[in-house]
Amino acid sequence: MKKTIITGITCLMLAGAAGCSGEDSSAKDQDTLTWLTTSGYSPDAPSEGTADYISEKVQKFEETHPDMNMKISLQSSNIDEAMARLLEQANTGRAPDMAAIDGYMLDRYMEYLQPLDELMEERGLEPNDFLPFAEEVIRGEDGQIYGLYMSTDTRMLYYNKEVIEEPPETWEEVIEVSKEVQKEGYQGLVLPVGIGEGTTVTSILPLFWSQGGELVDEAGNPSFGKGKNREAMIKTFDTLYRAREEGAISKRMASSGQENDANGEVAAGNTAMFLGGSWQAATIEETLGDDFENWEVASLPMIEEGDETASSAGGWAWGIFAEDPEKQEAAFDFLMDSFISEQGMGEFTSLQGSLPARESVYDSEYYDPGPFNDEFLESLETEARARPGAPSYNEISVQLQTSISQVISGSKEPEQAVDDAWEIVTFGESEDDK
Amino acid sequence: MSVHDTAVSQDKMDRPLKKKKTVWDTPYPWLIPLLVILTAVFLYPIIQIVHLSFTDANMIQIGHDYTFESYLRMFTLPGFIPMISATGFFVFFSVIFQLICGFIIALLIVQGEKMKLRGTVVVRTSVLVAWAIPGVIIGVIWGMLYNETDAGIINYMLGIAGIGPIPFLSDPTMALLSVTLANIWRGTAFSMILMYAGLKTVSKDLIEAAIIDGANGFQRMKSIILPAMAPIMLVNLIIISIDTFNTFDMVMALTSGGPGNSTEVIALSIYTAIFREFNLGEGAATAVMLLIINVVMTIIYLKVLGRRGQVE
Repeated sequence: MKKTIITGITCLMLAGAAGCSGEDSSAKDQDTLTWLTTSGYSPDAPSEGTADYISEKVQKFEETHPDMNMKISLQSSNIDEAMARLLEQANTGRAPDMAAIDGYMLDRYMEYLQPLDELMEERGLEPNDFLPFAEEVIRGEDGQIYGLYMSTDTRMLYYNKEVIEEPPETWEEVIEVSKEVQKEGYQGLVLPVGIGEGTTVTSILPLFWSQGGELVDEAGNPSFGKGKNREAMIKTFDTLYRAREEGAISKRMASSGQENDANGEVAAGNTAMFLGGSWQAATIEETLGDDFENWEVASLPMIEEGDETASSAGGWAWGIFAEDPEKQEAAFDFLMDSFISEQGMGEFTSLQGSLPARESVYDSEYYDPGPFNDEFLESLETEARARPGAPSYNEISVQLQTSISQVISGSKEPEQAVDDAWEIVTFGESEDDK
Repeated sequence: MSVHDTAVSQDKMDRPLKKKKTVWDTPYPWLIPLLVILTAVFLYPIIQIVHLSFTDANMIQIGHDYTFESYLRMFTLPGFIPMISATGFFVFFSVIFQLICGFIIALLIVQGEKMKLRGTVVVRTSVLVAWAIPGVIIGVIWGMLYNETDAGIINYMLGIAGIGPIPFLSDPTMALLSVTLANIWRGTAFSMILMYAGLKTVSKDLIEAAIIDGANGFQRMKSIILPAMAPIMLVNLIIISIDTFNTFDMVMALTSGGPGNSTEVIALSIYTAIFREFNLGEGAATAVMLLIINVVMTIIYLKVLGRRGQVE
């Protein structure tokens, strides 16, 4: 019996060793390029067009790089969770060779990402062709480029011009117009002011930024609760609170945390205006059919007349972690051909219904512009900013969402809500640091 | 060799050989795989969580320092009391109503079976479906029901009756009630199955004897059925309490903890701290608190109700 067991174990070990050596020999023939991406940017994308496009690009890559085998892993559909896991992988030296990164977070990965200036120069890709906010995001403190911004979006005021002749430019006008349209059976302004990232980027940050407010200081530490920033944040909360008190926005908005929550409201047919993202234009067009002709977009309303307009831009970038120069080059080739070159970005963003991150692509024959393309481009060029990439951003954002939701649902006063958020975010810091 | 020596040797040979008992002759080696698996997937994560709770670790920066700050933060910041209150309300009413509703439905099914009514199996199966649906889907379904626009099913029906619209999800108090109601619906199915199994174990002879002795329905319930079901009710109570304390998926899909933090139960707070704020230390400290609550609650149930069950 014992003999049989020993013989069995020996056989297994030999087989294992043979397997390992076999793997070694094949690894010599073919390197593996690991690619971590979201399902929307993978051959398994829910949209058939996107899936076919990426599958074709992967196949083409494997044909042109016979020594490289591409291994695709999908990220969690929860972006925050996916980004946290990617960072954990990078922290522990297990990062993939290339990965999709939520644009504004790129800064957090820079110490693990490879500079791409040389490869960009070889392929004739000018950093200043990226939209101003995107270039700022991908450029590291040392001046080198660490990412390839692929697609983006911006937030604007959508309004039905059959009901509203001139879009409101200030929140005073929002209140006035909302009251008017409610008399005609429409609801007031629809916007996210609940728990969700949409609340921070669409309803809070543009108002806060337009007053010169900064969420974090240059070192990345929270700053929204002190000095002029605190005043700007309280004014932002006050403005939204007043709109709620005046009936311009409904209390139920406190349960809406994403821009897409407005889609259902628009489909119901009694929405006259809403704050939303550029990607929603295609959905609204599909939902409303011919009635979509009545819709227009304008800059987000600001608090006071004369305030500089502001908006927040999102989108995705690609980063290359591979240290091996051959892999870096292969990854760069793949990303350029699929998502970053004039043709790649033009075709891919057209399929996705998103906006290109390179200005030249807007004039490209490969780009099929969607509704309000010119307005979105102008917004991205002149007023859009990316959220700060500081590590403290996520906690700040969650606390601001909670606070404004408390204000709109009537459980806290604006000033108290801002101060509570500040207390939570800066807990443990000395008064001097605060 | 003397005659005596020969006799002793013969005696030794006649006695059966007594093999020395080693550890391999006990059941313990067979428990090693289980012990290894439990250590890897249960004990190690718990130790890790306790360890992390005493650090300022986050998922964005490498390294960490040891500190009590996560606990201090949890207990002293403005969100702590609302979190405990919301969880207390959510768990207390969920557990009470899941027990009561589960018992009533099980009783109705058993009575239906006694009366040979058709469809009892269908009822049992359809109730179970609620238990089989993932929490996120339940959150989405109830979100559609609670929708506060004209598209909301409940508000639409109330509108026909001239009531509402009711702010099911945007008013802090209503939101907590709405989330608790959805959780009662979700957990009643599991409670019903356990109660049904318990009712099936009640001796028919005892009930018949009670009927002959002239006991009415209430007396039979109080003196025979409930005492006979005490052990299974205790198990049910422990399971649904722990389940409810650990619920976060349904709440996340339904309200994300809002408006404000009015429906942020402990389990959701852990998720928010770790996966939205990337704050491992604080999330781990909250997880340790939840673990302690679950363990203490189970011990109390076992000590108090278990002893009472034995006495009875």
